[in-house]
Amino acid sequence: MSCAQVAVRKSATEPLLKLRARPLRLALVGNANVGKSVLFGRLTGQYAVVSNYPGTTVALTLGRALIGAEVCDVTDTPGVNAVEGVLSEDELVTRRILETGETDVVIQVADARNLRRGLMLTSQLAAFKLPMVLVLNMADEARTHGVHIDAAGLAASLGIPVVETVATEGRGVAALKDVLANAAVPNPRGDHAGDHAKWAHDMAVQFRRLQPRSAARVQERLSRMVREPATGLPILALVLYVMYLIVGVFGAQTLVGLIENGLFKQFINPAAAFLVNRFVPWAIVRDFLVGEYGLITMGLTYAIAIVLPVVATFFLVFGFLEDSGYIPRLAIFSDRIFRAMGLNGKAVLPMVLGLGCDTMATMTTRILGTPKERLIAVLLLALGIPCSAQLATIFGILGGISFAALMTLFGVVLAQMFLVGFLAARVLPGERSEFMMELPPIRLPHMRNVVYKTVLRVRWYLGEAVPLFLVGTALLFVLSRLGWLAAMTRGLEPLVQGLLGLPARTTEVFVMGFLRRDYGAAGLFRMARAGDLQPVQAVVALTVMTLFVPCVANFLMMVKEQGWKPALGILGVVTVIAIGTGAALNTVLHVLHVSF
Amino acid sequence: MSRSSPAQRLASIEPGTRGHIVRVARDHRDRADRLMALGVTPGASIHVLQQFPSVVFMCDQTELAVEPAVADAILVQIE
Ligand SMILES: Nc1nc2c(ncn2[C@@H]2O[C@H](COP(=O)(O)OP(=O)(O)OP(=O)(O)O)[C@@H](O)[C@H]2O)c(=O)[nH]1
Ligand SMILES: [Mg+2]
Repeated sequence: MSCAQVAVRKSATEPLLKLRARPLRLALVGNANVGKSVLFGRLTGQYAVVSNYPGTTVALTLGRALIGAEVCDVTDTPGVNAVEGVLSEDELVTRRILETGETDVVIQVADARNLRRGLMLTSQLAAFKLPMVLVLNMADEARTHGVHIDAAGLAASLGIPVVETVATEGRGVAALKDVLANAAVPNPRGDHAGDHAKWAHDMAVQFRRLQPRSAARVQERLSRMVREPATGLPILALVLYVMYLIVGVFGAQTLVGLIENGLFKQFINPAAAFLVNRFVPWAIVRDFLVGEYGLITMGLTYAIAIVLPVVATFFLVFGFLEDSGYIPRLAIFSDRIFRAMGLNGKAVLPMVLGLGCDTMATMTTRILGTPKERLIAVLLLALGIPCSAQLATIFGILGGISFAALMTLFGVVLAQMFLVGFLAARVLPGERSEFMMELPPIRLPHMRNVVYKTVLRVRWYLGEAVPLFLVGTALLFVLSRLGWLAAMTRGLEPLVQGLLGLPARTTEVFVMGFLRRDYGAAGLFRMARAGDLQPVQAVVALTVMTLFVPCVANFLMMVKEQGWKPALGILGVVTVIAIGTGAALNTVLHVLHVSF
Repeated sequence: MSRSSPAQRLASIEPGTRGHIVRVARDHRDRADRLMALGVTPGASIHVLQQFPSVVFMCDQTELAVEPAVADAILVQIE
């Protein structure tokens, strides 16, 4: 079968596989979105996140693979457009592992359809003088688009093995393992030295045949519909609405209701209370477990009953959108808006990813072109983008009040983001890069991958968020026991009750919100349920909470990506803006006598 | 290929038109390099898909979106 066709260089030199002091180190390198991470999974049996947009992988992923009789270290790298010239932060990550001698063999993964671009990179990779193998992945899509490649001819000309694969189906992977022993430094390129583009073009003309064919009619149609404003904007509205139905209504109302009322109120909490009261003799421990700020009655109920259903439904829809290739196309509509904020359309990726998790998205800002863009994007993520866990509580509280309340919150937050971006673009030094972006093909998502990603992310939520939630609950318990909570509440009274017009208890909620803003929001959720929050107060409190820095993890990621100073600066600016906006909103709503 | 018409700027070409890239203006620093890394180099075939709100085109087998200023720097020989 030609899809798994193997072309091995004739003159095999000394084999690479021999006795070694340490495992052979292989690196998967290539253009963005060509299937490196899928191949990584096939080679190592380990999952690296796979999505249909350039910039899914922005840091190195390490794994082990059994190749022949040898165990090898395999590294999955961020996709690159180039490894020389002006590079973005994620491209530098890849370049570094080529430069530092951390790699013995480079497995270049290319999209068979895009041979030209792949070869341009081959030409640059050759300069590192490392043994290479060229993988032409997506052989299935190449075929449906009428692209045929003479792999044998290409291998002979390059002097390296060339293998065609379909990583998603595992085709050609065995062949790849077989030829790894023959990896070689590519031939010198003759007189084109330096002009990678011309060489790649000539090679592509020589070894690639294009049959004009449009087998992918449906794909083209869809791609056109989402990209043209007349159809694309209504489609965007529809996508958001469906998302609201699945996450905001089904997840935040139906599922939360079932789990909270059905499971926790009826069974778990009474059972826990019964057991604890029966078997724990110390009042303070009883209180700690099942009291007002109890680990089980408060911590676990929030984490599992209120947030989990929304996070799960959100990631399911989100994973589907990620794999469809839809998200990057939003850049077409948003480029002009982002340009006013010192960014460009590409920033839509980290912003939308932030709805999943702001911490991850902060890392994804690496794909942006300049340091200024990265800083603005990190700031805006911290300021305005509610993560899935927080969306849970927003939908939960405001969905129960009115649609207008929901729109007020999103309107204020979006306006604030735009304003801050607009000012930051003018105040911060540096410049933005121009908008030029690759759009991945529209694909029907593999439900397996979508479900798998969802399970992984939910597990990650439980692993990271739940312990922190419990720590927060414990902290609140200790503060309240020591009487410090009351002191803080008194101290912040002018701010919370005076300026923001909120009940005194909201201070506790803000303390929780400092750890993770969704916990704070979850606290508001309970107050709202108990009837302690007027609708206007709910909107104001949630707006302030949404504008806070998302969580401790996000703050640490900001430090990691930007350094202490900018991170502390952002924390300060964001906190002031959050409270200022809340105070302004409170005043405006009262002056206008809005009651939702 | 007959050179019936002169090369045109990508930003001013009707959607649906096909052609080849002749040149990418080097007047703005690293613009041409970044475009090259995306495969936008002389000789590449091009199919204009849309002009507003962003310029979208197929370059060889890659679909790309760029802002108008960038499209203005790409010269295309229409077929
Ligand atoms: N049809 C087809 N799709 C593939 C193949 N390999 C990967 N894909 C899809 O291509 C998309 C990108 O795959 P990834 O493995 O995330 O690509 P990557 O090279 O790691 O991308 P970055 O991390 O962004 O650089 C996913 O939607 C995959 O399902 C293939 O052989 N055939
Ligand atoms: Mg990847």
